[in-house]
Amino acid sequence: MTLVAPANPARRGGRRWFRRRRPAPIVDQAVVVLHDVTKRYPNGKMALVDVDLVIPKGDFVFLVGPSGAGKSTIMRLLIRDELATGGQVVVDGQDVARLSRRQIPRVRRTIGIVFQDFKLLPTKTVQENVAFALEVTGTQHRLIRPQVDRVLALVGLSSVANHVPRQLSGGEQQRTAIARALVHDPKLIIADEPTGNLDPLISWEIIQLLLRINELGVTVMMATHDADVVTALRRRVVALEEGRIIRDEIGGAYHRED
Amino acid sequence: MITFVAFSLRRAWLGFWRNAVMSIAATATMVLMLLLLAGFWIVQAGLLAGLDFVEQKVEIVADLHDTAAPDEIVALVARVQAMPEVDTVTYVSREEALVRFREARTTQGQEDLTRYLETNPLHASIEVGLLDTRDFGLVSERLRGEAAVERVKNIKDLVDRVLTVTDFLRTGGTIVLLVIGFIVLFIVVNTIRLAVVARADEIEVMRLVGASDAFIRWPFVFEGALVGLLGAVIALGVLALAADPLNRFMFDFFRVLPIEVGPLARDLVVVIAGTGVGLGVLGSWISVRTYLIR
Repeated sequence: MTLVAPANPARRGGRRWFRRRRPAPIVDQAVVVLHDVTKRYPNGKMALVDVDLVIPKGDFVFLVGPSGAGKSTIMRLLIRDELATGGQVVVDGQDVARLSRRQIPRVRRTIGIVFQDFKLLPTKTVQENVAFALEVTGTQHRLIRPQVDRVLALVGLSSVANHVPRQLSGGEQQRTAIARALVHDPKLIIADEPTGNLDPLISWEIIQLLLRINELGVTVMMATHDADVVTALRRRVVALEEGRIIRDEIGGAYHRED
Repeated sequence: MITFVAFSLRRAWLGFWRNAVMSIAATATMVLMLLLLAGFWIVQAGLLAGLDFVEQKVEIVADLHDTAAPDEIVALVARVQAMPEVDTVTYVSREEALVRFREARTTQGQEDLTRYLETNPLHASIEVGLLDTRDFGLVSERLRGEAAVERVKNIKDLVDRVLTVTDFLRTGGTIVLLVIGFIVLFIVVNTIRLAVVARADEIEVMRLVGASDAFIRWPFVFEGALVGLLGAVIALGVLALAADPLNRFMFDFFRVLPIEVGPLARDLVVVIAGTGVGLGVLGSWISVRTYLIR
């Protein structure tokens, strides 16, 4: 019997004085809660207007709408790259506006992000690109390799672990990016048009991968213009237009069906 | 903590070599700028030594009454030596003055006429070297008040003019050195900024995967320090190689001037290494900052 309490991930770095300020969860089991969120950019453009959105744990949500409708803005608010001008943004039970500078990186580690342009480092191999996410967050050296091997196996890239991005196909590059997003065991994966640069067949592979990750219990939020994919899968669809949510239906299609 | 430092140092090392072109460009700029700084530092040291040399040549010569008793003179020398402004006091007897005069005539190649004299026409005198030439007027005035002193050679106007020139050169040299310092600062900081900007993608990925500010900043700061250190070592190496030929070339210069090569070399090592590492760290710190503050 040991007297040392087992490491509780929720307590990591959470100092007592800070934890006291943490608000009570608005909705139980919600990974993302947007409440009356408004975002106005300094140039006066209203990117989001009174957006209310609750994404429960384990959900798979498509975010659809024309370019400039506010999809990317929502994602930037979630990783606290931007602050909302009004309303409340809650990620994993924490109001991001109340995070101290030191807490922001910790919240970002609970979110994996995937971009249309992959954002891989060209001089690093697949394995190093994934390991990078762990190295720069202070993970102990001996823990990195097993974690990296695990996620590379999950996305099916073990055989090209020592290739650099230039040697890979677009689909493989995006799977590398997904592996990097997964390596911190995130609660939420945010994918901003992850198939935008890929041909339809490869796009389906990426979607299948995201669905499999979702089945493992990770909440997935994916912004896309791919109507075929959205309509075929019949998942939850949140449609944005000019910064407002104009449709939020479970089992929806890409376009409105009356 | 040890993990963090080891990580930062390792990343700094890898970052330096993986971006070799940028790193070498930054290091080359660093070397050139440090050499520029070193060059002006040496010139400034030479200038200051030269000016000190000129100022040290100024001394007060006070002729003494021929009637002054030896113990009176001894007392006078002791009193003058005790003045806080005075560096050296040399007593020149009448006989010595005559010897000096003859030597001077011989050196000039002129006939020694003193042997036709029956008595020694020269006065005994004291030569007073000052710690600070600016006290020339003050000490001269005090000497005039001494009973044993017949007269004090009045070269105050000349001394003032010399001081005007030396002060001007000293200030000018310092200003030039400061300007050079600022030029070096801006060029080095901007070069390092370019190297950091070239890796904006890397910094963005670090932010997105949740790296803390310290983990983003310190590898770059260490890399900046590495560039500075490497630049300093190369610059000092170049100086060490150049020192010998330079010494031979400037031999006459160094023989005349009381410039001490030892302390100058020590100053240079400290200044160059300090400036190199300092600017490398400063440049990285400032450059990474722009990406951290949002």
